[in-house]
Amino acid sequence: MISGLAGAFLLLGTLACDGGEVALTAKREHLEAFADMLVPADNPATLEGVALGRDLFFDPLLSADSTISCGTCHRPELAFSDGLPLSRGIGGRLGRRNTPGLANVGYLHQHLFWDGRAVGLEAQALHPIAEPHEMGGDWATVLGKLRRHPDYWPRFRSAFGLGSPDQLEASHVGKALAQFQRTLVSSDSKYDRVQRGEAVFSTAEALGEAIFFDFADDPEGPYAGLPTGECAHCHTPPHFTNQRFFNNGLDAAAHLEDFGDPGRGGITGSKAELGLFRAPGLRNVALTAPYMHDGRMATLEEVVAHYNGGGEYAENKSANVFPLGLDSVQATALVAFLQTLTDSSFVTQSIMLLR
Amino acid sequence: MKYALYLPLFILLFALGCDDDDVLSTQEVDFPISFRAEFGGTPLAIQSADYAYPTGADLKIQLFQYYVSDLELLPAGGGDPVQLSDIELIRWMSATEAATTTRTFQAPIGDYVGLRFGVGVSPDLNAQDPSNFAADFVLNENEFWGPSTRYVFAKIEANADLENDGTFDTPLTYHLGSDALYTTVTFNRTFTLDGTQDPDFTIVADVLKALADDTDSFDIANPDQQRIHGGNQAIATDLWNRLADQFSLETR
Repeated sequence: MISGLAGAFLLLGTLACDGGEVALTAKREHLEAFADMLVPADNPATLEGVALGRDLFFDPLLSADSTISCGTCHRPELAFSDGLPLSRGIGGRLGRRNTPGLANVGYLHQHLFWDGRAVGLEAQALHPIAEPHEMGGDWATVLGKLRRHPDYWPRFRSAFGLGSPDQLEASHVGKALAQFQRTLVSSDSKYDRVQRGEAVFSTAEALGEAIFFDFADDPEGPYAGLPTGECAHCHTPPHFTNQRFFNNGLDAAAHLEDFGDPGRGGITGSKAELGLFRAPGLRNVALTAPYMHDGRMATLEEVVAHYNGGGEYAENKSANVFPLGLDSVQATALVAFLQTLTDSSFVTQSIMLLR
Repeated sequence: MKYALYLPLFILLFALGCDDDDVLSTQEVDFPISFRAEFGGTPLAIQSADYAYPTGADLKIQLFQYYVSDLELLPAGGGDPVQLSDIELIRWMSATEAATTTRTFQAPIGDYVGLRFGVGVSPDLNAQDPSNFAADFVLNENEFWGPSTRYVFAKIEANADLENDGTFDTPLTYHLGSDALYTTVTFNRTFTLDGTQDPDFTIVADVLKALADDTDSFDIANPDQQRIHGGNQAIATDLWNRLADQFSLETR
């Protein structure tokens, strides 16, 4: 049902070389640290599909008033985030949550969105178009535009083998967008290069790595006695997320019903999961400020200070969130390590998508 | 009527088929095995239930999981064990999950005298990196500590109310695993699989039994015993042994 994407990367590499077109992918090498990306059998990547998805991604035609595209909130220069606490939709409508970055989103085959309301990129891509505070439209209108469009309709026909415009469905839009998003691969950060033996961490970065990965758990090791950051339980490499849901102690809640944003509980209906949000991937995290599901923290320093303090009480706060005891040097080091997750080549190539 | 001429041939072929032991021995049946998590003998409820701990504290369990490697049936009369699965991750992490989860395996029909499995990740699999496997394989469930420490075999995470003041503000996280801790569990049972009256097996793991018994309770009030992430091997080994020893097999 699902196959690896290695072939698709090769295809896209060929396109980038032969056609003189903009590069549609980030670096395709250095993927050995990643398990092969999973691709639904009914949506294999094709040149036409990826190129179509890219153009749809940056085209405001998908929104109700033709002012907002996916790329409005997912800006390449910010690792596909938007720099705002909460996303802004058509007419300046304030969104409910922070826009996440998209680096390596194609590798996240489980739940997507902060509350996990979609499983898989094909399903995720269908949501924003009809969300009132995002693109604010409806699928009937969008499909009508695309079916009549002199450029898009023939490309949908070619990419998905459609026979007539009425066969174009929302799922085809989702598939094209998913194909494009699977090309947003970041694998050449300093962290990656250190893992490959091509670079070394600075003293501060190495200390931050030791805190991030709890090296002090080894009582015989060189970091024995160092505080542990407990970060990697949830922000697990190589994509720095375990794709699961947690209350990370942002808000005090004497009763679970007190959470202003129900998070995962709003989807599952479980009281016990109120206030839980999906652990985001941290690749390029230094570029995706502000942080948390509601963008309440402007800097990585604030984020580290939050976790260092142990967060606010609620009975469903993750057991891995508690006071860490980091001093200022250690907190700074942890930030330095997080900055090694920035992949400048990913950003550079992503910006080229706009040209 | 002309087809009647072929009848003896069909009968002969059928009889030959029935006499062929090789054919019979490779016939397989679906064999479901259930895994149930409990706390103190009651079905485990993640986050939503308060559980009394022997020292007087109350617990809310957030996560209970363990790997099962080389799940095998032991044939009657000896011979090589029948492997049902090389690796399974048995996990309870959401209040929406039932305490019992069932996996269905393919097993040859026949007579058996037991069931066994390894608790944890078998050494051969533990030597392989997650990137060697499919992204949706159980060894890609983000339970990999790192190149030297390898996979986390089992986890128990909870919040404790030590003072009985209604606040579950003492986190407990026990993450265990190493080749040295890998433990084989064997249940001796005589049973037959023929696809008609196969036994219902449920492997039961009790979180409370992993932490406490009638005479000795893990001291969750001791800060040194509230967070074990593999490094403190003396405490980890004690907890691991409790966990590995408490499995039981329920047969119906």
